[in-house]
Amino acid sequence: MTPALEISHLRKVYRSGTVAVEDVSLTIQPGDFFGFLGPNGAGKSTTIHCITGISNPTSGTIKIFGVDAVADYRKARTLVGLSPQEFNVDPFANARNIVDWMGGYFGIPAAVRQKRVDMLIERFDLVPHANKPFRELSGGLKRRVILARAMVNDPQLLILDEPTAGVDVELRMDLWRYLQELNRDGKTILLTSHYLEEIERLCRTIAIVAHGQIVRHGPKEEFFTEPGGLERAYLAATGKVADHIAAGAR
Amino acid sequence: MIGNWIGLWTMVRREIQRLMRVPIQAVVAPLISALLFIFIFGFVVGGRINTIAGHRYIEFVFPGVLMMNIVNAAFLQATSQIYFQRFQKSIEEILVSPLSYVEMIAGAISIVIIRSVVTAIGIMLIGVAFGAVHMYSLPEFLFWVIFVSMIFGFLGIIVALWAKTFEQLNILTVFFIQPLSMVGGVFNTIGMLPPWLRWLAYGNPLFYFINGLRYSMIGFSEGPAVFGAIFTVVLAAVLGTIVWRLYAIGWGLRE
Repeated sequence: MTPALEISHLRKVYRSGTVAVEDVSLTIQPGDFFGFLGPNGAGKSTTIHCITGISNPTSGTIKIFGVDAVADYRKARTLVGLSPQEFNVDPFANARNIVDWMGGYFGIPAAVRQKRVDMLIERFDLVPHANKPFRELSGGLKRRVILARAMVNDPQLLILDEPTAGVDVELRMDLWRYLQELNRDGKTILLTSHYLEEIERLCRTIAIVAHGQIVRHGPKEEFFTEPGGLERAYLAATGKVADHIAAGAR
Repeated sequence: MIGNWIGLWTMVRREIQRLMRVPIQAVVAPLISALLFIFIFGFVVGGRINTIAGHRYIEFVFPGVLMMNIVNAAFLQATSQIYFQRFQKSIEEILVSPLSYVEMIAGAISIVIIRSVVTAIGIMLIGVAFGAVHMYSLPEFLFWVIFVSMIFGFLGIIVALWAKTFEQLNILTVFFIQPLSMVGGVFNTIGMLPPWLRWLAYGNPLFYFINGLRYSMIGFSEGPAVFGAIFTVVLAAVLGTIVWRLYAIGWGLRE
């Protein structure tokens, strides 16, 4: 079966000389719910940027459902939806336009797009806010708009970079339910988060990245057979366990 | 080359909506500027100047004023559109979409041409009110409006990709576009310049644009028109290729 995402020896060095991704290789099977964990600056977002075309990989290959994300970028982009960590939108545009424009960029005809936008606006409880400028929305509403935008092209691979950062409990629970629904319907999901309970609850496969490399990768169950569970495994994999224990002892 | 017409149209309508949020800056300001130039230089001063090659001074000045505004509208549109999208990071919406580099550039340049044409129509209406508008050759007129818009649109994109600050967006306008416009024959014939300065006019690209537009409107030319047209097409093609290459490597666009 063709993997949903196949990254081989990805390396990303910024013009400043900073090595953001040293050597990342991973494979995500279709239909998987994949958790991508790591401390700030570990290389998670840079890896996602390379997958989606926001960054140029320095070396290595990325294939999305077998399509090369660099050589055949147009076809690869049609398969992916991205909810980035930062709000990368025109702050003066309204929520409906933001979602609609993204559908337009994906070449979705107006009639189909309108139905899709209406459905997403309703699904994310944005109806009363659909015509308000993005900058006037609360943090949680902004996050909903970004999520709706990521789903407008009905992507096969949904990439969510810290989608629940700064949102209230209600939206978080609602989003979890929706993501589980999407995953049950066959969507492949790549999720980064700093909330370990979110990863525990949703993901079937987990990779931990530190210093631009995958330091641990396996099915979720593997992480729970160890004493201390995912938290302990995460701290050990990222080299923080000694500090953590020392802090606990104090 | 272009397959995603819906995506291309989305880029255009999105930018039109943005421009509608700033109508004074986008539409009214250039019209007031042009009105003042036409009134002071064409009507007030021009009323005391003899005809030039059988044309009233206001008829001679009008194409130059029109070209100056087309150049400014094209350059401002391209720089503000691309730089603001970079600044807000909303350019990432386009980068993650299945638009080809040609489509991304075509979308940006289409809006540049639309803004230039809208500006040109407004100024033409002002010109009509002053009796300054003539049309010697409409196809040539359209050629100059569209190709010069493209050239300054491409230049604006290059500057917007290069700029790290808002200040840098103005460097080309302040140090090159405005001075070259002024010495490019907007207000005077090349024959009025001292002989030792005429080489400056013939080496100035803006001269060929102004001269070409003036010829298309009143049939008066001071330079080799065919050379000017070929130079303009080649310059547009070279700049277009450079912009395409910059998009392909992600210069100023992708990290």
